[in-house]
Parts: sequence; C-alpha cells; structure tokens
Amino acid sequence: MAAPCRRMANRSLLQFFSHFSRTAVRNTGFREFSSNSVCRASLQTKTVTETATSPWTLVAAVCLQRLPVISADLHPLEQEFKEMMLQMELERSLVSDHELRVLEESERMSRKKADDYDSDEEGSQGNQEIMLAQDMEDAWEQKLKNFQLAPRVTADIDKDLTSAQRCLADSLFLLAEQQVGREKLWLLPQTQWQEGETLRQTAERALASLPGNTAGFKATFLGNAPCGVYKYKLPKAVRTESTVGTKVFFFKAILSDSAPPTSPSLLWLKKNELQKYLKPAYSMKVDRFIINM
Amino acid sequence: MYPVLRKVSITQQAFVLNPALTVCRARPSVQHPVWCTDSVNERQYRSMPTHGIGRWKYLLPKRQSKEKKKKGRQMRPIVAATDTAYGTLNVMVSGYDMTLVEHYSQYIHNLCHRLGIKVSESYALPTKSTEVMLMQEVGTKMYVDAVLKTHERIVQLSSLNTTLCPVFMEVLLKTQPEGVQLSVNEHTEDQFKARFKARPELEGLIAQINH
Repeated sequence: MAAPCRRMANRSLLQFFSHFSRTAVRNTGFREFSSNSVCRASLQTKTVTETATSPWTLVAAVCLQRLPVISADLHPLEQEFKEMMLQMELERSLVSDHELRVLEESERMSRKKADDYDSDEEGSQGNQEIMLAQDMEDAWEQKLKNFQLAPRVTADIDKDLTSAQRCLADSLFLLAEQQVGREKLWLLPQTQWQEGETLRQTAERALASLPGNTAGFKATFLGNAPCGVYKYKLPKAVRTESTVGTKVFFFKAILSDSAPPTSPSLLWLKKNELQKYLKPAYSMKVDRFIINM
Repeated sequence: MYPVLRKVSITQQAFVLNPALTVCRARPSVQHPVWCTDSVNERQYRSMPTHGIGRWKYLLPKRQSKEKKKKGRQMRPIVAATDTAYGTLNVMVSGYDMTLVEHYSQYIHNLCHRLGIKVSESYALPTKSTEVMLMQEVGTKMYVDAVLKTHERIVQLSSLNTTLCPVFMEVLLKTQPEGVQLSVNEHTEDQFKARFKARPELEGLIAQINH
C-alpha cells in the first residue's frame, strides 16, 4: 500500500508596495492609508491530504486597529524639557535672513527720522523695497489668527464608544459582540476556518461578515503570519472525539478608512478599556500582542 | 619550608584579627603573600633580560593596507525575496520638517538594530524645494508666498523576516510623527542609478559611438 503523503500548503511571498501618509487633522480626522499590492502572488493552496485530522476547530480572528491621528500629549517633565531646549536653541541660534532685514530696515527708519538725514548718503541700494519686512510679518500674523485649528480632544465624541473618531491620540481596537456556543461574548471579530482557504483569508472573511458592516471596512492586513493564538478547551461535558476545543489565531490589520460604518454591536476601545469587556483568559492572550505606545 | 612558614604567619594573623572567635578554624585569608608583587602587570625595564616578553604582533606577516575603493560606485547586490524573507527594502521617510524627518529615520535605524534587522545602507536624497505661489488679490501676477523644502531619508534593509514584518510595520506606523510620510518599496537598480548626476559628455560620446 502506498504510504500516505502529506503536502503542506505552499505560500509564495507577498510583495507589497505601501504608501502611508498623515494628513491634517481638520477635514479627514483620520490618517490616509493606501496600499497597492504590486505583485500579489497567487496563494497556491494545494489540497492537504492528512490522515489524522486534529481534534481542534480552527478559528481566525482579526485585530483591527485605528492608528492614532495626533501625537499623544507630553508628560509634564517632557514639556518642561522641551521648553528648556527651545530656549537654549533660541539663545544659541544665529540671526536669520528675515530678521537681519527687519533690523536693517528699522535702523534705516530711525535714520530717516533723524534731522540730519541725507538720502544721498543712503548707499548704493537703488531700489527700496515696496514691502517692508515688518509689514510682511504683520500680514503673516494676521493669516495665523484667521487659521482655525481643529480641536485635539472633543469630550462628547470621546465618550461615544462606537465612534471611530474618539481618542485621537490613542490607537483603538475593534470589538464585536458575537455568538459563541450558547452565549454572546465581546471579542475580536472571528469566524471558523473552512477547507481550502488560508487563515488570513478566513480573517478577511471575518471582517467582511461583521453584522454592522454593509460597506465593508477597508483594512490592510500586516503580513500573512498570525500574531497570537488563544486555545479554548470545551468543558468536559461537551467534549467529543472530534472536537476538544477551539484554537483562535489572531491577525493584525490597520484600518485605512476615514469613516468606517458604526453600529451598536461594534466598539472601538483603547487597550486599558479592553479588560472590561473581554474574558480574563482571553484578554491575557490578547494583551500580549496589542502594542500600546 | 615556605608553606609551613606561611601557615604559621597566617594563623597568627587570624588570632590577632579575631580574638573573639577562638573556636573557628584559622582560614587562610585572601591576602596575597607579601613577597609576590603583581609583576605580571609591571613592564620590565629595557635592561632587564625579560624585556619585551609577551610581544607577538611582530611575528605575524605584514598585512597590506586595504585598497580604498570609491564607496558607492558599485551597487550592493540586491537581495532577492525568498519564501520567508523580503528582499532589499527601502524605507523612505519624507517631510517638510527636517528635524522630525531625521530623528524619525534615526529611530527606524536604531529599531532595526534592536530587532536584529540588517540595515545595508542609510542615505539621504537631495532636498527638493517647492515654491508656493499665490495669485495677488488685485491683478494677475503671482507672488511667492512660501518656499517649502521636502527632505527625504532612506533606510535600506537587506532582509526582513516575514514573521517580524507585521511587528516592525506596526511599530513604525504607531510612532510616525505628524507631518512625516512613510513609504516602503523594493529597491531597484533604477533607484540606485537615479542618485547619480547625469553626465552629458559621456552620453554624447556614447551616442557618437553608437551612430
């Protein structure tokens, strides 16, 4: 009898060409993010012929993050240090061209106002500038006053947990309320793995099949490798021969949409708020790969 | 002879130092014996017969000084991508504020050292100046409103593990400062050639030869 052969699913490398940019907070309130895969190699999934099927059900989950839009507020110590450094740099710096011009022109004005002013002695500068440097400075000041900055922190949006525009200085993670077994739990969106697809495709499917997701989240997955795993053994009463429990593989993705669809069953939470909604064992595993800077 | 003497002297010392501990056995202390100076570290004077003992570099064959090639003329070979690692990647950081751009590129470089990613090169592209011209309110003439300078820095990574890539990218994205654009592409020979100045005489001669 021929020995059973097992072939691993062969995945060629994904070569990506990404462009990330931070735009002004004003209009979008979000970071633009675009990625075009130049040659996304087709994933060759060969059929895996295994004799022994594992007793674990495989599930892929997606950890969708909204990156921070503005930089975090400075610690008071950092603020003091920054001010000190600015002061030091100002004291050590040389006078710039514009400042030299201002000084020259103020000198010239004071000489003009003196009684013994002789315009012939003024020197070889034939053409007097139309716009004095001081006038230019005043015009710039006016422009600055007219410019409206968007607020960094809006208290009411911050309290709304379903909005993706809250807490612009932190990174937010998407949590969905899903039915697992008999109860409804808050967890990172997940679906079960099906034959013939890669785990990353399962994670993409999980994101697309979210209930509040009519338009679809535009997300970019960072790589094919999962970032974390959570093992869940079913209670002994429910365990059978073929199912001992579930293994959940987490994939990281970045939200590239500025206005994602909102729904009451989807929450955007910071890392410290996640603990209130996740089960302790689950949250322990999830905390390991969630980076909070 | 000597060992016996030593033991005696030390036990005497022990008794002197610890009069209270009569029961304890006299342990030889860690002090060096008096007559043994640390002559290992002292250099011998030139008249001493042992002068120069320990020299060995003069025995090695003479090495030619490295011929300095003009760095940068030859391109470093582009690493091809394999199944588990990306090839030569260029992480380009660009922006208007030079301090932010430089500090961010230095941060990326240090992060690569920390994570064990090999950095093959780290260079800057020439600064591009953009003049912002505004139409005058009265009339059709345009006047220069501002001059914006775009600075670009490139950190070239020779090989990046696919397992490390998501972590690396996430850290980069989370620490990206405001006003700085980040872009990751593959390194091509054209990008390398674009850094050199055009040589019109050479191109003219080549065109003449080809004619």
